[in-house]
Amino acid sequence: MKSSRKLAALLAVLALVAAACTSDSDGTTTTAGGDGGSDGPATGSVYDTVMSNDEVRCGTRDDLPGFAVVNPDGSRTGFDVEFCKVVAAAVLGDAEKANLVDLATPDRFTALQSGQIDVLIRNTTWTAGRDGQEGATFLTTTFYDGQGMMVNAGEFSSIEDMDGVVVCSAGGTTTEGNAASEASRLGLDWEVRSFEDVDTLQQAFQEGACDGWTSDVSQLTGLRSAYPDGPDALTILPEVFSKEPLGPAVRDGDSKWAQVVDWAIIATIQAEEWGITSQNVDDFLDSDNPSILVFLGQAPPEGAVLDPGLGLPTDFAYQVIKQVGNYGEIFERNLAPLGLERGVNALWQDGGLQYAPPYRG
Amino acid sequence: MTATTRPVRTTTPAQWLRKNLFRTPLDSVLTLILAPLSLYALYLAARFVFVTGRWEIVEVNLKLLMVGNWPIDHMARISVTLVAFGFLGGIVAGLVHARQVRRGTASVLNMSRRERILDLARRFGLILFTVLLLLALTSTWGPTITAVGVVVAGVAGRVVGGILGRLHLPKPVAIVLVLLMLSTPFLLYFYLVDAVPLARWEGFWFNLSSAAAGIILCFPLGVLIAIGRRSKLPLIRGMSTIYVELVRGVPFFVLLLMAHVALEFFVPASIAPSRPVRAIVVFTIFTAAYLAEIVRGGLQSVPRGQEEAARAVGLSPFSVMSRIVLPQALRNVIPAQIGQFISLFKDTVLAGLAMSIFDMAQVASAITQQSAFRGQGLIVETLTFTAFLFWVGAYTMSRESQRLERKLGVGTR
Repeated sequence: MKSSRKLAALLAVLALVAAACTSDSDGTTTTAGGDGGSDGPATGSVYDTVMSNDEVRCGTRDDLPGFAVVNPDGSRTGFDVEFCKVVAAAVLGDAEKANLVDLATPDRFTALQSGQIDVLIRNTTWTAGRDGQEGATFLTTTFYDGQGMMVNAGEFSSIEDMDGVVVCSAGGTTTEGNAASEASRLGLDWEVRSFEDVDTLQQAFQEGACDGWTSDVSQLTGLRSAYPDGPDALTILPEVFSKEPLGPAVRDGDSKWAQVVDWAIIATIQAEEWGITSQNVDDFLDSDNPSILVFLGQAPPEGAVLDPGLGLPTDFAYQVIKQVGNYGEIFERNLAPLGLERGVNALWQDGGLQYAPPYRG
Repeated sequence: MTATTRPVRTTTPAQWLRKNLFRTPLDSVLTLILAPLSLYALYLAARFVFVTGRWEIVEVNLKLLMVGNWPIDHMARISVTLVAFGFLGGIVAGLVHARQVRRGTASVLNMSRRERILDLARRFGLILFTVLLLLALTSTWGPTITAVGVVVAGVAGRVVGGILGRLHLPKPVAIVLVLLMLSTPFLLYFYLVDAVPLARWEGFWFNLSSAAAGIILCFPLGVLIAIGRRSKLPLIRGMSTIYVELVRGVPFFVLLLMAHVALEFFVPASIAPSRPVRAIVVFTIFTAAYLAEIVRGGLQSVPRGQEEAARAVGLSPFSVMSRIVLPQALRNVIPAQIGQFISLFKDTVLAGLAMSIFDMAQVASAITQQSAFRGQGLIVETLTFTAFLFWVGAYTMSRESQRLERKLGVGTR
């Protein structure tokens, strides 16, 4: 009995030591770590968190050509990545203060709700269900996408010709569901086959196991441009059968932070409208157009610098354009190389959907 | 060594073939079927590795695969760490050798020079080959200098360790030395996180270091729980049992996912630890439960008489456990323990998947989407490379454990 009691005491002491060690190692990394540092869910605005962390934790990914890929040197580039930088440049005045956090598709909204990230810019479609149930608020759409169909060149000219075919997708349940409902809408008989990843799908497609390949047009375009037999071996059919507006999302009920992110993105569209680019932005600092002066945080001839009270520095638009660029530049750098055209993502004056509300008092 | 001590091979190749491959009609049929198949598989594998494999993606992304986004400016800290571990490993090897020499159990004493070299080649050949392979893929001098540094430090450490082992150091000095050696990994850890927080440890470096941390942390915990399960106190016994059964009953992947997504709903994000820390905590908790059962098996394999005899000569309960029972118990279950550690090492890629940590497997998959490489199915190459590195690590652990078993005479006494 006596021996076991001593042993028990020893165990207790060792257990305490072990516990202390574990919590100690936690503590050190929290202070040094990059993930910590925010308030818990739903306490205060994310805006304050961002200011105190001095970085924007942006939920994104690392494996989607055009939108977010990792470079050999470890940096990330892409359309979504650049909009993370846009937000950082606007809020903190430094595009490099965007802390890009990789997220898997299933935990992107959880990460947003729990406060692991400040903003989600991860090729995410704005839908009613996500707005309502996932605790996310979607902001200005950065890219209007839609699901389409890619086939071997010359095999079909319209989706309506595709009856009794095998349609393959790797986009997950939404893509599959869209394809199935499109088939039933047109009264066509499609067998929808689902694949884990794009590479296996491509192999199956090359071997003739699929007649059609469905995904968002932006992705199909990217896949087509890198197709081993050359892009001309494939045709993307003109029909688009779903609406996929992709844009940033922030946590529900935080309008202060939402408007900050919103206006950071709007600035890129407004800049393109006025033809202000990262190259020529400095020339506009003495523009004759008072609206442009106000936009760039300069005092117009009669009046003062405008602070609309968004919580952004008055020169945020200048920083965004100077450090990242306008919408057109971001598009040209990242999506045009995939073979994507502006299409519906052109400015409103060119017949597209990209429209910036006016920046004035 | 005279010729008569060695059995002279008298069988001709034809005899060997007949004896091993065509002994019975069934053997012959099996050989005729399986030999071409395995030769063809070998041919396919060799052709993939040497001819059709497009390894440029690995070469271009080697740094990303190994250490992820670790800042170039701080690469020297990894080099320093590796060299320090080389030196430390050398010292330990030297001390162990000196101790064996003292006790007359050193196996190398009976070996010829040639056999010693062969022994070294068997131990370090694969690692050396892999390192040379990796160095061949690098374009800067840093990794090569580091590798040479590790070897030099290892040899130097071996010499120093051998000298230290022969000296009869006063006890205080010896204790200080041991403490110094034990604290080195922790000092190195702080040296590393001072420059790059744990949250940014990526690539193979994450797999390696988190597995090491998990193994180091889970070992004392697992042993304590194993002893706890044999305690006469119902509370300790019950708590240990509950721990083991609770942790073993939950899938590893689910634990990782919970640590990743659920923690923030209970703990404010400001004090929630970073992803790698959570992964290491889960590794520790999970592996400790399995280790506890393994060690418990070892404890039960020690004859009761050992404990009774130890008590009869007046050893304290602590000494009975720490000097008599535990050493024998742990020795008996080396294979199972190492198996658990190998399993943990490989399972670190699950943390990458569950927690979106940019570990080697995640890098291997992400880099296939780079504009220069996408659409070419290069994931076959990157995953093969990943699998190879993990295999080298796991196989080395396995070999070293067999060596340890032989040295400690598991199964022979």
